Amino acid sequence: MDPPIYYSKAEYIETDTGNKVSRRATIAGPQNIILGGKTIISSAAIIRGDLRRTGAGHAVVISLGRYCLVGEGCVMRPPYKTYRGNFNYYPMKIGDHVHIGANSVVEAATIGNHVEIGKNCVIGKFTIIKDCARVADGSIVPPNTVIPALALFAGSPARFVEDLPESTQDNVETQTKRYYTRFQVLDQ
Amino acid sequence: MAPTVDYHCPCLAQLSVPPPPHLPSSSYSFHPLHTLFFCEECDAVRCNRCVSVEVSGYYCPNCLFEVPSASVRAEKNRCARNCFMCPNCRNTLSVVPSDPPDPGDGRLHIPINTIGEPPFFLYCNHCRWDSAEVGITFEKPTGLAGQLQKFEDSAPESLEFERLKEHFEPVVRASALSSSTGNAPAPPSSTRVRTNSITAAASAALARDIPGVVKYNPLARSARGGGPSKDKDKSVNRDEMPEYRSRVDIVSASAHGTGGGEEDVEYMRHLESVGEVANLEQRWGSSWAVSLHTADLKPLRIPLHSKRSKRCPACAHILIKPEQKAQSVRYKIKLVAANYLPAITAALPHQLDVANAESTKRTLAKSTSVAVTDDDRNVAGMHAGKTYPFQLALANPLYDPITVRLTVQRVHASAAVPSSSGRASPEKPRRPPFAVSLPSNSFPIAAFAEAWEYEDDEDDEMFGLDDDDEFGVARVAGREKGDTRGKLKTGILEKKKNVTVVGGEVVIGKEARGNVKFNMLVSYTYRSDDPSPSDSNDGESIASKVATKPPETKTFAFYTVVDLGPIIPREEPRVEAEL
Repeated sequence: MDPPIYYSKAEYIETDTGNKVSRRATIAGPQNIILGGKTIISSAAIIRGDLRRTGAGHAVVISLGRYCLVGEGCVMRPPYKTYRGNFNYYPMKIGDHVHIGANSVVEAATIGNHVEIGKNCVIGKFTIIKDCARVADGSIVPPNTVIPALALFAGSPARFVEDLPESTQDNVETQTKRYYTRFQVLDQ
Repeated sequence: MAPTVDYHCPCLAQLSVPPPPHLPSSSYSFHPLHTLFFCEECDAVRCNRCVSVEVSGYYCPNCLFEVPSASVRAEKNRCARNCFMCPNCRNTLSVVPSDPPDPGDGRLHIPINTIGEPPFFLYCNHCRWDSAEVGITFEKPTGLAGQLQKFEDSAPESLEFERLKEHFEPVVRASALSSSTGNAPAPPSSTRVRTNSITAAASAALARDIPGVVKYNPLARSARGGGPSKDKDKSVNRDEMPEYRSRVDIVSASAHGTGGGEEDVEYMRHLESVGEVANLEQRWGSSWAVSLHTADLKPLRIPLHSKRSKRCPACAHILIKPEQKAQSVRYKIKLVAANYLPAITAALPHQLDVANAESTKRTLAKSTSVAVTDDDRNVAGMHAGKTYPFQLALANPLYDPITVRLTVQRVHASAAVPSSSGRASPEKPRRPPFAVSLPSNSFPIAAFAEAWEYEDDEDDEMFGLDDDDEFGVARVAGREKGDTRGKLKTGILEKKKNVTVVGGEVVIGKEARGNVKFNMLVSYTYRSDDPSPSDSNDGESIASKVATKPPETKTFAFYTVVDLGPIIPREEPRVEAEL
């Protein structure tokens, strides 16, 4: 029933595993970014894979699971802190079926599976978001916040509003899968 | 706004028929499908308003510690570890050292870690409140709740409450004793208090959750009704409690910062800014009456959350039973209505066309923000005096094919909405001001197959046709193949996987206003007690089974309310937009 969401073939690169990445997104340090497959990076998104932990060797900075969506104009930036006098960036891990709305800034440490983040949100440094949680549009989540599983957070600062229904996991899964199918090349 | 379809839960209804959609009570009786449960024993839909809820575990929403039920009471339902809420903005506080190391680059340093010099204090990352302002500091950064315990326990209110409990304890114990000895004579019938399981359960829960409250026992109370026996005499005396003397007089209490009285009046008189007074929200979460002064607000331990299991109110069977682990999102038992009832989504094709055009335009224009023009909005709305087609997509969650029949509920006998194909005559001026027609025949929906069966196979057309052949639906085969989409037809428009799309039509009266919102009865017939029908690819065996023995079928019916959106009234002056 839902109408397809069209994109032009010239703008998006599709990988073997079905990731669709806009050429107009800024992907810094791509060697430090992992996409799980069937994940969409929209145009004007900024993903800072270059902000890696100091030290030798290969480091994963940002990992996204399957069926994720990074909305238009989102900024994904790993969190940082000075610990025992050393400044460092810390990796950001995002699970499967995570949708991040347009123009949100994410500096979380961990985001679980089946999480929905609305438009125009700020997710503060080292935030931990558990499975099936939801952050309403325009929320400001302060640094170090923990959002428990199946909780809806909203406001500035974002606070617990209500428990989400038991079927949230299934709903989000169908919704993210449907979004991926709807996201099609425009035939001209 | 997209059209919505909500499902009826009969718990509020006297009759099995839901309230008509224009009444306010309609919105209380209908719920989105994903919030509903289904009791297999009763064969009925249950909603969050009618299920009985039990706590199956407590946890702190910040540190995610699972608190054993035994210590919940002792810790007064709040986290007893290091989790505190900012009294100013409700954000979680973090522990910071008093002397953050200077980064040396002249930038503002935001202290975030716990390594550093004592004393430590609590700091809010959001509003920059810190506990040093109210004189709370810690020697070490761990076990903060324990360090604060002495403040909490020495609060005048807390002491007063403890004293009250102590004062009434002999009385409470005596009444508990007399009720447990059980030798009370039968009370006179006039004073007999009826007890039922609900009161008993509630009092048991109260006794468990609130320290010092003893189980409510109607017999114990009625036994005090008087009489000459020795036992009775004791109980009469029991009513005469010794006089209680409070530690502090209420008049002088405001001096201790508890608020109320002259003190506050004086304070309010000399108020210079609104911010000096703590607002209701800031004082609301506190256990005791707190001072009006913003500057006196203390950090609060974070209240615990709970995981809950849910039971059917009629048969007490468990509908929802979460896993023990607090952050697990899995359930041992989960009987949700979405697994039993077909999911219905409504759409208006003329709106979809607009949306499509919009998205195409956007992609081509390479612009991220094209405002919806007024013209488009006009086209997408529904005008009075016109006829619009709409589509209902029904998705079958069962592993068996089902047959569905849709009926529009009659609202009033006088202003009947024809349940089948006929158009309502517009001469009845009473509501509803629109007439809905739906396909009157019953139609089939193919069985649900596991997602992986579809996933690699994107050729939907093929799949859809296969299904038709399997279940021998020759009746509709002719109609669905051509592109009926877009043409204004009632009937079956599309069949794909386990989804069937049917078309309906709504004729809106000339004087109509409000929403196009109607109740629809959905009844579906499914085969029951079929041993292995799940494999839909194994078409032949199912088809032969259907053909050979008359299948044992069951029919389940439920009400839905379909809201197609607002009608744009005629009177409003506007440019007529051509479709």
